[in-house]
Amino acid sequence: MAGRYDAIVIGGGHNGLVNAAYLARAGRRVLVLERRPRVGGAAVTEEIFPGFKFSMFSYVVSLLRPEIIRDLDLPAHGLHILPLESSVTPMPNGDYLGAWADHDQTRLEIARHSPRDAEAYDEYGRLMHHMAHAVKPILGMLPPDPASLSPRDLAGLLKLGRHFRSLGAERFHALFKLMTMSSADFLDEWFETDVLKATKSASGIIGTFLGPRSPGTAYVLLHHYMGELDGVFRAWGFAKGGTGAVSEAIAAAARGFGAEIRTDAAVTHVLTAGGRVTGVALESGEEIAAGTVVSSLDPRRTFLELVDAADLPAAFADDIRRFTFRGSSAKVNLALGALPSFTCMPGEGPHLRGAISISPSMAYVERAYDDAKYGAFSRRPYMDIVFPSMIDPGMAPPGKHVMSIFVQYAPYHLTGGWNDQQREALGDAVITALEEFAPNIRSCIEGRQVLTPADIERITGLSEGNIFQGELALHQLFFLRPAPGWARFRTPVGRYYQCGSGTHPGGGIMGASGRLAALAVLADGA
Amino acid sequence: MIEVPRTTPFHPRTAPLCVSRAWRRWAGYAVASSYELLHDREYHAIRNSAALIDVSPLYKYLVTGRDAAHLLDRVVTRAVPAMKVGQVLYTTWCDAAGKVIDDGTLARLAEDRFRLTSAEPNLRWLSLNAAGLDVTIQDVSDTTAAVALQGPLARTILQQCTEADVAGLKYFRLIHGSIRGIDVAISRTGYTGDLGFEIWAAAVHAVPLWDALRAAGADYGLTPAGILALDLARVEAALMLQDVDYISAHRALIESQKSSPFELNLGWTVDLAKERFVGHDALAAERARGEADGAWRFVGIEAEWDSLERLFAEVGLPPRLPTQAWRTSVPVTAGGTQVGYATSGCWSPLLKKSIALAHVPAEYAVAGTRLGIEVTVEHHRRQAAARVVPTPFFDPPRKRGSA
Amino acid sequence: MSRSDVIVIGAGTSGLVAAQVLARAGLRVVVLERAAMLGDAPDIGWVPEPVVRELELAGAGLAVATPDPWLSAALPGGGRLDLMRDVARTADQIRALSARDAERWPAFCARMRQMSAALEALYVEPAPDPLTSRAGELYRLGMLGLSVRRRGRQATIDLLRTLPMSAADLLGEWFESDALIAALAAGGVRHLCQGPRSGGTAFLMLHHHAGQPEGVFRPPRSNLRRVLAGMAGPHIRLGARVERILVRGGRAAGVALEGGEELEAPVVLSTAGPRTTLERLVEPGWLDPEFARAVRNIRARVVTATVTITLEGRLDSPPVVVAPSIEYIERAYDDAKYGRVSAAPVLEAHADGNQLVVAAQYIPAAAALEEAAFGAQVVDLLAPHIPNLRAMVRGVRVDRPAEHEYHGEMGLDQILFMRPVGGWSRYRTPIAGLLLAGPGTHPGGAIAGMSGLLAAREILGA
Repeated sequence: MAGRYDAIVIGGGHNGLVNAAYLARAGRRVLVLERRPRVGGAAVTEEIFPGFKFSMFSYVVSLLRPEIIRDLDLPAHGLHILPLESSVTPMPNGDYLGAWADHDQTRLEIARHSPRDAEAYDEYGRLMHHMAHAVKPILGMLPPDPASLSPRDLAGLLKLGRHFRSLGAERFHALFKLMTMSSADFLDEWFETDVLKATKSASGIIGTFLGPRSPGTAYVLLHHYMGELDGVFRAWGFAKGGTGAVSEAIAAAARGFGAEIRTDAAVTHVLTAGGRVTGVALESGEEIAAGTVVSSLDPRRTFLELVDAADLPAAFADDIRRFTFRGSSAKVNLALGALPSFTCMPGEGPHLRGAISISPSMAYVERAYDDAKYGAFSRRPYMDIVFPSMIDPGMAPPGKHVMSIFVQYAPYHLTGGWNDQQREALGDAVITALEEFAPNIRSCIEGRQVLTPADIERITGLSEGNIFQGELALHQLFFLRPAPGWARFRTPVGRYYQCGSGTHPGGGIMGASGRLAALAVLADGA
Repeated sequence: MIEVPRTTPFHPRTAPLCVSRAWRRWAGYAVASSYELLHDREYHAIRNSAALIDVSPLYKYLVTGRDAAHLLDRVVTRAVPAMKVGQVLYTTWCDAAGKVIDDGTLARLAEDRFRLTSAEPNLRWLSLNAAGLDVTIQDVSDTTAAVALQGPLARTILQQCTEADVAGLKYFRLIHGSIRGIDVAISRTGYTGDLGFEIWAAAVHAVPLWDALRAAGADYGLTPAGILALDLARVEAALMLQDVDYISAHRALIESQKSSPFELNLGWTVDLAKERFVGHDALAAERARGEADGAWRFVGIEAEWDSLERLFAEVGLPPRLPTQAWRTSVPVTAGGTQVGYATSGCWSPLLKKSIALAHVPAEYAVAGTRLGIEVTVEHHRRQAAARVVPTPFFDPPRKRGSA
Repeated sequence: MSRSDVIVIGAGTSGLVAAQVLARAGLRVVVLERAAMLGDAPDIGWVPEPVVRELELAGAGLAVATPDPWLSAALPGGGRLDLMRDVARTADQIRALSARDAERWPAFCARMRQMSAALEALYVEPAPDPLTSRAGELYRLGMLGLSVRRRGRQATIDLLRTLPMSAADLLGEWFESDALIAALAAGGVRHLCQGPRSGGTAFLMLHHHAGQPEGVFRPPRSNLRRVLAGMAGPHIRLGARVERILVRGGRAAGVALEGGEELEAPVVLSTAGPRTTLERLVEPGWLDPEFARAVRNIRARVVTATVTITLEGRLDSPPVVVAPSIEYIERAYDDAKYGRVSAAPVLEAHADGNQLVVAAQYIPAAAALEEAAFGAQVVDLLAPHIPNLRAMVRGVRVDRPAEHEYHGEMGLDQILFMRPVGGWSRYRTPIAGLLLAGPGTHPGGAIAGMSGLLAAREILGA
C-alpha cells in the first residue's frame, strides 16, 4: 500500500467532488471513490428511456454557493444555469396563481386574487431578503459549540451573538419567529390567499417529514429562499444538461486540479490503526492507503457502516443512531410524446418553462402530510414539476419532452414496506392527481420512472431516502449536525472527516459542506 | 395570463399618437415617454401653451366613512379634520420612525369622502392603520382615469369645455363639474409647477374625456405630452420623485436609504401640533435636534455656466447639454471632496440653466453655498462649480394666480 | 372621580399577586373584576418560591395538591398505568408494559428535571433580553449562559436540542411503550393547537414539569387565588367591567367602566390579555401600526373545552388521562386542524369534591358542538376507566371558553422575550403607564402568579 494519495474522498456526490476539488486545488493528491458507474450521487442525469434525459433525483439549482462557482470556475467546466422564471399553481376551479420574473406581472397576478396580498408580497419579499442576508454568514461558518468552554468556541459564539444583535430588534425577532414557527402560521401573518400560502408553505416542507402546520417548517422556507443566482436571492435555475451537469462540471474542475476519480469503486470499510485512518478497503477487496479520508456519505453510513464500532466513542455512536432521516420524498420522471395541457392555461405557454406546483390549498398539502404520518403515501400528493426540455431542448428528442415530478409525501417507513406494487401505486396516484389539473396527461406519457424513498436509498445510498442526508430539523442543525460537538467536519477518528450534507449547513446542492470540510482538512494540515 | 404592461384608459387615444413608439412602464402601465420623435415640443407646450398628460397610473384610494378623516389624520403628516370640502393637500406619510413611506395629494371630496393619491400601492398601509375604525378604503386606481392639463392656457382651454367655475378655482382646490356630459372632478394641482389642473373621471369615460379636451384645446395649441417632457418640468419645479430622489421607508434595504420629511425639504408638511400621527414622536424629536448631528437637507443646485464651458473647452468641445432630465446619482462636492449627491437634474430649456436636486448635509444647504457637481467630460470625471439656490427653480405667478 | 396609584384589571391570580405586592409597597391599588363573584375554581400551576416568599403564603393557608398517583393513564386494553410521585414506584408500574422503559424511567426523570430546572431559573426572573446593551442586563445574560453551562456539557446540549423537538420524538428516544409516551406527551399539547408530533411540544412538556419533583409531569392545583382574595390590602371591586383604558397624551390615565364611571390612575396593569387589552380596551390609533399588527398576530387558538360532571357524592380518583397512543392524540389534533371537534378527544379528568372536571381536547372555538352529545361521549370514554362513574353522574355541563379568554399559545415563538410580542416582554407597552400581566405574558400559562409579581416589581422599580 504505497502512499500515492494524501486524501481519499468516499462518494462522488457533489459534496465529495467539491471537497476533492478544493483539496486538489491546494496541492493534495486526491482520489475520489464512487460506487456507481457515474459521479453525482443524487445530482445525476441519466438517459432512462432512449433520447430522454432525466435529472433523476434533484432537478433544480439555486443554492450552489457562489464562491464555489467562482473558486472552481465551474462555467469554464461546462456549468450553464438557465433561469427558471416562473411558478404556477393550478387551482381546482380552473384558475391558477402565478409568480413571474417580472415584478409588475407578479404583483398584478397576486392582486387578481387579493390586492392586499399583492402589497404584502413585496414586503414579505423584502423581509426574506433581509433574513437570507442575516442567515447567509451562518452558511459559511464553522458552527461554534455552545457547550464548549474553549476560547475558539467562545469567540465564535460571541461573533455569532454580535451578528444577531446587529440585526436590530425588528429583524432579530422576525428571524427568531422564522426559526420556530410553522410555515402555515408564519404565512398566515402575511397573506390571506389560501393558494398563495399553500404554494409558499410547500417550499417549507420539501425534504422534511413535517407538514406546513408543523413548527420548524418556517425555517426550511427560509432555507429555500437563500438560493442565490448572480447575486439575486431567491432565483432558481436549471442546469443545462440536467443536474448531472453540475456534478460533471465539479468533477471536471477537480480533475483539472489533479484529483483522480474512480467510478465502480464501492468502499466498504475505512481502515484505521491507533485511532487514525490509514486508508480504505473496496468491495473488490482492494485496499488503498491514505493519511486522510473524507466521507461524503450520510452520517449513518459514515459512522455506523464504514467504521468499526470499536473506533467510535459509545456516546457519539448513540448520537448518530439518534440522528433522524425519515425520507418523505419520491420522484416520478416521465418521457412525454406531447406536452400536457393544463386546464388553467391550456396549450403550450410560458408556464411550462417554469415550475408548476400542485399545492392548491393549505388543506391539500396538510392532508398529504397526514397520510404520511400514519404510514401511507399521500393519496393526493404535493408535487413540484418542471419540464426540463422546455428550458433545455437537448433533454428530449425534438418535439418530445421530459417531465420531472418531485413528490411528497412518500414515507420511507411505509406500512408494509415498499415493493414493486407500491411503487406503481404511487406512480398511479401521482398521475391521477395530475389528471385533475391536466386531464390529458395520461395520453402524453411514453415512459414512466417512479423512484420511491427505498429506490433513492438503494441507488444513491441516501439513508431512508432522505434527500438532505438527515432531517433539516432544528434539533439536528448547526452545531448539532450530525451530532453535538462534531459539527465541524471532523470526527472522533483521527484524520477521518465528513463532508456530506449531513453536516452543516445541510442539504440542497449547496456544496458548502464539501468546501468547509476541505478547509477543515487543510487547516488541520491533513 | 395578466397582460403586462397594462394600458391606461386613455390608451385608445394615446397609442396612435405615439409615433415614436417610445413607451415606458409606470406602475405596470404603458405610458408614452414622448409622443413625437423628440420631447422638446411637448415640454415647451407645458410652459408656453398647454399640455395634456396621462397620469392615470397614479395609485388612487377612496377613503369614506365616519372615521375617514380620522384615519387619514392618523396616517398623514398634515392636519386633516380642518380640511374644507374641495380642499387638496400635498402631504407625505411616514412610518413610526418618522421616515417617509410615500407622498401624494389628499383631496376632500365631501365631509366623509377623501381621495388619496400615491406613487406606490398603499392599500395595505391604510388598512393596517384603519384597525378599529369605521372606514372603507377602496382602491380606485384602475377605475379612475386621471389626466393633467398644464400650462399658461390650461384655464382658458378648460373653460371651453366645462360649465364648472374654473376661473374661480383656487390653487390646490377641487370642484366637481362635467365636461361634455362626463362627470369629472377638477383639481388645481399638478406635477409641473405651473398653472394647471388634473381632471379625474371614471375610467369608462376616459376616451370621450380626452376627445373633449383635445377639441377644446385645438385652437390653443394643446399638445399631448409624455413623461420626458413632464420630467423636465418637475425638476424645474423642484418636485421630488420616489425611487429617484428618495426611497420609501418600506422599500429601503438599509437605514441610510430612508429619509424624513425634513430631509426632503418637506418640513412644512409636518404638523407637530397634531396630537398623534404615525411618526409624530420621532419627527418631534428630529425637529428638536435641529441641524445637529448629521442632518441632511434636499436643495436646489445650479451649475455655473462658465465653469461648465471651461471644462468642455479643455477637450475642445462645447458643453454637452443633456436634452432629457437625468435620474442618476451624481456626486456633489465641497472643496473637492464629495459631501452629498444629486438625484435629479436637467438642462432647463426655459431657464437656460443646468439645475439639479441634491441631498447635502445641513451645513451646506444654505442658499448661496458654493459646491461642486460632477460632470463627465470625455470619459473623465470633473467637477463643475455650482451653488445652492432657492427652489422651485421656476415659480411663475400664474401657478397660484387667479384668472 | 376616584384616584388610585394603580388600577389592576382582573382579579385572577396574577392580578391579585400584583395588587398585593403593590399594596404592601404602600401604593393605593384598586382591582377591577368583571365577575360578580370570585369563584372557587382551583389554580392550575406551579406556585414559584418567589411568590410564596414575597406574599408570605406559607403561613397563609396556601395548599398545593400533591395527588399520588399524579396521573393515571387509561390503557387501551383496559386497566391503568399509575404514575406515582416516587420514581421507583413508577418504574415498577411501568415494568408491566415494558421492562426496558422501566429501566430508563429514573434516568429519564433525572434528565428532564435538569432541563426543567434551567427553565425554572428563566421563569422566576424577567425574560432575558438578547438585544440588550445595558451592562447589567448583559451581565445577567452571561450569568444565565454560564449557569446553564455549569450544569454540564450534556445538560447544555440537552436543553438546546430538546426544546425544539416534538414530544413524540423526545419520548420516542427514551421509551418504547406507546401508552407511556402518549400519557406524557399529552402534557406537551395542553391548550395547544398542535399534536405530539409537532416541534415545540417537548418544550411544553418540560414547561409543565417546572417546579415539580422528579417524575411528576403535570402542574399542580392549588388554592392560591382563594388565599389571595382573602388578604387585605388592595381594594377589590366585583362586577366592575372595564370598557376603556383612558389614554391622554400617549400615557395611561385610568379606566372607564361600563356605565360611564371613570377611575383615574397613572398606572394601569391589565391582566385581561394582551389582545383584549390592546385591541379592545385601548382606543385604536394610540399604537404604532406595526406594533398593533404584531399584537393581532398573537396566536391564541382555543382548543380546550371543560366538561364538568356533577356527581352523586365524592369521587375518590387520581387524575385520569385518556390518551392511549400517540396516534390517538395526533388524530384528535388532525380533526382540529380542519376546524372540527375531535372525533375521539383527549381527556384529562380531575376529581374535585363531588365534581369530575374534565379538560377535553381538541375542541376548536369555531367548531359547532352538540354539547349534550359531547358530554355523553366524554362520560362514555371515561366510564371504563373510572369505577362507578356512570352510576354517580348527576349532570354534565360543557364550557367552552371564549376566544379572548385564552391569552396566548405557548409555542416556541411566543415565549420568553417574544411574549406577548417581540421586544415587549417586560410587561410594559408603548403606552407609558400601561402594563400587562397574566398568562399572556412571561413566563406564560401554568406558572401561578409569577407574571403578576414580576410586573409589580417592574412598576415599583420604575
